[in-house]
Amino acid sequence: MASHLKCEEITVRFGGVVACDGVSLDVEEGKIVGLIGPNGAGKTTLFNVLSRFQEADAGEVYLRGQPVNKNSTSQMVNLGMARTFQNINLFAEQTTLDNILIGAHHLCAPPLQSMLWMPQARAVERELTDRAVEIAEMLNLESELDNLAKNLPYGLQKRVELARALAAKPEIILLDEPVAGCNEEETEELQNIIARLNRELGITVLLVEHDMSMVMSICDYLYVINFGANLAQGEPADIQTNRDVITAYLGEEV
Amino acid sequence: MEQRTDADIQDQSPQPTKWDRSAIVRLKARFERQNWAGVLFLLACAVAFPMLPGVEGWQAYTVALVIIYIIAAQGISVLVGFTGLVSVGHGGFLAIGAYTSALLTKYFETDIIIGLISGGLMAGFIGFLLGLIFLRLSGAFMAIGTLGFAFFVGTVVNNVPLFEGREGISLPSNKVMFWEIGDIGFYYVSLTVLALVTLFSYCMVRSSVGRAFMALRDSEKAAEASGVNRVLYRTIAFSISAFITGMAGVLNGHIVNYISSEVYGDIWYSVDILVAVVVGGSAVLMGPIIGGIFVVMLPFMLEELADFAFILKGVVLILVLIFAPAGIAEVLGRPIRNMRARLLRQAGYGGREPAPAETTSVAAAPSQTEKP
Repeated sequence: MASHLKCEEITVRFGGVVACDGVSLDVEEGKIVGLIGPNGAGKTTLFNVLSRFQEADAGEVYLRGQPVNKNSTSQMVNLGMARTFQNINLFAEQTTLDNILIGAHHLCAPPLQSMLWMPQARAVERELTDRAVEIAEMLNLESELDNLAKNLPYGLQKRVELARALAAKPEIILLDEPVAGCNEEETEELQNIIARLNRELGITVLLVEHDMSMVMSICDYLYVINFGANLAQGEPADIQTNRDVITAYLGEEV
Repeated sequence: MEQRTDADIQDQSPQPTKWDRSAIVRLKARFERQNWAGVLFLLACAVAFPMLPGVEGWQAYTVALVIIYIIAAQGISVLVGFTGLVSVGHGGFLAIGAYTSALLTKYFETDIIIGLISGGLMAGFIGFLLGLIFLRLSGAFMAIGTLGFAFFVGTVVNNVPLFEGREGISLPSNKVMFWEIGDIGFYYVSLTVLALVTLFSYCMVRSSVGRAFMALRDSEKAAEASGVNRVLYRTIAFSISAFITGMAGVLNGHIVNYISSEVYGDIWYSVDILVAVVVGGSAVLMGPIIGGIFVVMLPFMLEELADFAFILKGVVLILVLIFAPAGIAEVLGRPIRNMRARLLRQAGYGGREPAPAETTSVAAAPSQTEKP
């Protein structure tokens, strides 16, 4: 299988703190890949580097073999990459529908055509709205379409974030702690949704998550990082029994 | 009666009606038709006004002044309401529009239509540059930056000989194409500009551009992750806002056939337009209309106490900020929105009420907000 998203020797320093110290990973196309590690291991920093929110001090990021270090943050979605955030980052004063539609921003007509309501732009808009409603139906958000994002309960907000990322028609989606703070029921639902995206829409998934049972059951492959460096990688079953990983999470045996 | 229907809805809500998209679409289309009917009614009133018996030129002139303020306020509301950037310098764009058209009229004897287009474009272009310069500013820093811009424009028109400072530039009577127009003609020109500007704002807000503005306002990070180009959309917002306010400036100069740095050289215009959108409400199209009427009519209504208008404006501003931070238009529109939300809920469309007033009824029927 081809490599979809790859990074090599990523190093990020914040002053004296080295958040990432030569991390490499390789996400295969069509897989669900997990990125785990203890708190402060540099997972979110690495995520930000991959989605161009953070400039790396050293190292390269490749999307389908093409280096993306020169691209701006807002261009990544054109290259088929969408992401969600660890702390929910919705457009609070807008409806669920508008939140989802923003995700499809790069598919809209050019600004001038859009604001003058040219027939072409309106047609695109209708099409995108229909698709946004479909996405909402898929995520069981259809009855919330007209509600402001800020009025939704936490679990639903998480799903709206996911819906917004999906509206971009991504080929790869980066999920930063998609089930953090969700109860068991919500976790299971989101887990099923993520699995479906991968299976039915063929979207490659890279996710950071602390919920180990979820990670172990959903991921095809895992990367473990600790103190900003690669610690281990492999199938979930191997990772579960890896001594280094157990030590990193639970500490040394006495 | 009202109570019963309310209770009925709450009784049904534990098992909400199945999601019926066509019913929702029909309802929303009906709301849209109602909106348009309201707008057309207002427009018809405005068109008919000068034809009413007993209405004289000076009354049309006064209402035209209000209209000009509303246009300027529409311009600033694009920026303040939809992108969340505060500008205390829009008087600068007003001045740029006014002087561009005045100089063209003086030296080339152009008519008011060419004046409007060129004044708007010039202000829009300066707005574009300003948008680039202020790209990284937001909040209070943006306010200070734009205030600096207004002072800059004031200093230029005061001191550069071309603009003739306090002497001012007198303009010949106004022309559309080759026809001279009086007060009533000018009223219709202003009304046309207002109608076009409002229609344009309406379309823009309900397009991907308006969505992108609001996305940048609510979360720059998420907007960029969704592919919204921050540089592009902030400069677009600045240019459009400046363009509209610039056109208001053109009208503002031509209505009195005279402009001077005494009027455009200080920042009171900037403050007044900002007050208009804050009082009226900025993220609603009715906001600038209400705000514009308030700002212009207040001194008129106070008559000999007009000197106190400034104080009263301040008092009203503070009251609005405390009791209706989203503006008067938002408060006036609330009953209509509540009624519509109720109709939508009856059709099985989940409604989540943020209003604390609703909490009491929710407590009576706790299952009401619970959606499966």
